[in-house]
Amino acid sequence: MTAPHLVEHFFRHEYGRLVALLARRVGVQHVEAIEDAVQSALMAALESWTLSAPPDNPSAWLFRVAHNNLIGELRQRTSRLRILKKAAKEDIDTLGNSPELFLAGEVHDSLLQMLFVCCDEAFPVESQLVLALKILCGFGVSEIALRLFTSEANIYKRLGRARSQLRELPPRIGELTREQYTARLPAVSKVLYLLFTEGYLSSHAELAIRRELCDDAIRLAVVLAEHPVGQTPETFALLALMHLHAARMTARVDRSGGLLLLEEQDRKLWDQDQIQIGLEWLAKSARGDVFSRYHAEAGIAAEHCLAPSFQETRWDKVVECYAMIEQIAPSAIHKLNRAVAVAEWQEPAAGLAVLEGFEPPTWLANSYLWAAVLADLHRRCGNIEIAKYYRGAALRLSPTPAIKQLLQRRLRICCLG
Amino acid sequence: MPKYLCIQRSQPGGKREKPSPTQMQEMYAVFNAWKDKFRENIVDMGGKLGGGKVVTSEGATDGPFVEAKEVVGGFMIISAASLEEAMQVARECPGVVMPGSSVEVREIRTP
Repeated sequence: MTAPHLVEHFFRHEYGRLVALLARRVGVQHVEAIEDAVQSALMAALESWTLSAPPDNPSAWLFRVAHNNLIGELRQRTSRLRILKKAAKEDIDTLGNSPELFLAGEVHDSLLQMLFVCCDEAFPVESQLVLALKILCGFGVSEIALRLFTSEANIYKRLGRARSQLRELPPRIGELTREQYTARLPAVSKVLYLLFTEGYLSSHAELAIRRELCDDAIRLAVVLAEHPVGQTPETFALLALMHLHAARMTARVDRSGGLLLLEEQDRKLWDQDQIQIGLEWLAKSARGDVFSRYHAEAGIAAEHCLAPSFQETRWDKVVECYAMIEQIAPSAIHKLNRAVAVAEWQEPAAGLAVLEGFEPPTWLANSYLWAAVLADLHRRCGNIEIAKYYRGAALRLSPTPAIKQLLQRRLRICCLG
Repeated sequence: MPKYLCIQRSQPGGKREKPSPTQMQEMYAVFNAWKDKFRENIVDMGGKLGGGKVVTSEGATDGPFVEAKEVVGGFMIISAASLEEAMQVARECPGVVMPGSSVEVREIRTP
């Protein structure tokens, strides 16, 4: 008999579910003990399920083992504490009474609560992202480092700091208040957005790895959208933009993994189902009186998805949306994007005019994006010498071979003689 | 067919990062693929071995069992036409791939 196949990401998603469920029961300040208990339960599963076969309900099996591991550990700690301090009671006494089963709805509620706990304004946003990747998505430290293009030491540092802050939360924070939920909602949306863009915009070579981050961001955003706290037009717009971007993901690379420009992409490869879901969320998001950056970004993505060809794109609408994003969340990158859209809508010189006299901040001036856009616009305006200068800079600054290759193709200056 | 006892050993103290959930799921898949491939050969999946003592005429000691640096982790029983074939089964076992681990393969002689 062939061993039953576990669904994709089963262990990773179980990790997130179990940590969230247990944190809801015993309090998030025990997060380290909880993570250890879950890790041991998964190891036990690996051993037991390979020697015999997985149980009929693997999730319930894992929950029971992790729950028992955790109670054992916490009881031990309590009795140590009692001996030391002669402390009479600890929060752990209530634990034994917890039924060893969980209801399906509890999984959703726990995941959502954990997401809001991770997005505590007391943590820097980088730590919120790392916590979400570790605790909710079940990635290991080296896997997170690989995905965020930073060192493992850096991830350990961020995790350590965030975990010690979690430990110091008052015991049994239990439920967050409605006010806390509302106050943290923008931070939660931002972390989900970052999780998605880490996958979507990442220069990571492997499509599967990037796809995984995008799918996880969508998975958690759906959990958010299903809860009264998260049912806001912004959340729906966020989901719209995720689906509308994800729809075009596979078409962004050629067969050998090289990146393709929007105009080179085979639009037949765009995932129509994803586009449909994205448009449904977009329609749902069109209410209330707040036009968020997610609305604007989803609007741009929708314009691209609905355009029959690159030339027939409604560039005026795209320009409009970028101008709105600039107003909502001023950033030099939005200005740069608007310049590109204006160049397509009107002419390259009009795109250059948008950037005229604009001093980019250092982070942008030192990125290949700035140099590449200027090289392209100047090339198309016939300013060959300036174009050559920026082309050199763009190639030098390109972070990956795939991006370098794309730039070489795009910025080829044919009339060099 | 002759049967063989496989004793899995590893070097203790290798402080590596615990496997991530993704890695564990990969290990699960690899192990099952191995089990499928050598289904005919596997007589008893055996199990993990806990700590123990060595009993000698002088009494009991904590070890060493074979060599102080090694830890005996588990055992299983396989059947194979020859020692070579048994070694092949053991060599491809995912448990052996980890650095510092090894498997001792011994024929179980029955009269």
